[in-house]
Amino acid sequence: MKLIRSTKDQFQFRLGRREKQALLHLLKLYPCLPAAHQPLSKGGGSPVPETDQGLLDEALAEQRRENRRRLQALLADPGRFQEQESGWRFSLSPAEVEWLLQVLNDIRVGSWVLLGSPERRLAPLDEKTIPHYWAMELSGQFQIEFLEAMQGGD
Amino acid sequence: MAETGAPELLPGTIQEAEEKPRSDLEPGYLVICWNDPVNYMQYVTHVFQIVFGWARPKAEFHMRQVHEQGKSVLARESLEKAEHYVHQLQKYSLHATMERDE
Repeated sequence: MKLIRSTKDQFQFRLGRREKQALLHLLKLYPCLPAAHQPLSKGGGSPVPETDQGLLDEALAEQRRENRRRLQALLADPGRFQEQESGWRFSLSPAEVEWLLQVLNDIRVGSWVLLGSPERRLAPLDEKTIPHYWAMELSGQFQIEFLEAMQGGD
Repeated sequence: MAETGAPELLPGTIQEAEEKPRSDLEPGYLVICWNDPVNYMQYVTHVFQIVFGWARPKAEFHMRQVHEQGKSVLARESLEKAEHYVHQLQKYSLHATMERDE
């Protein structure tokens, strides 16, 4: 995926045919991070109220449901991907790029969790873990492309 | 952790909070971001810029602190504001928590 044009209101990326297939497949994995994966507090010192943890969990769960709905709408939008001779042109607003970064990082971190949250070296891959590894690495590549596009627009 | 009261560790966008005496903010909660091996440094910097409205150098400073020291205290706030920031950081799948500043 390459940035081909950016304005104040829109980014346009060029995607190869296989890249588009891979991106769509990847986005279908969302949400990937387990619900209530992160505590509000590590529990050092006085704990935060339990009700606050519940509220945070619910807020994050609602956010994921909303992201899922928004993602389905985006992928169903026929104007979003325009076919070209060499692949596809993918158009996004700056707010959509920002939001897709969150979605992709959920997939990246969720895949890492599914790999056992390795701290340094991954265990040897097998048939079960290769899809998680693929999703973690590929979502990272798309993230970097989006970040570089946004930073170029600073 | 020791420098949590230092002005440079408070979000630059909350000018009003920086001017208040410490006692006005008690009890305070620390917003902490923890290191992990999966989030890209570039991404973490970007998220700090978005969530706290920081300029890139300040965001990079805290990102490096997370990376090199295992964590960074990003803000000291009231319970409500600290929860808000932790929620924002967790929306971006960063490893963030809040702890009471005692």
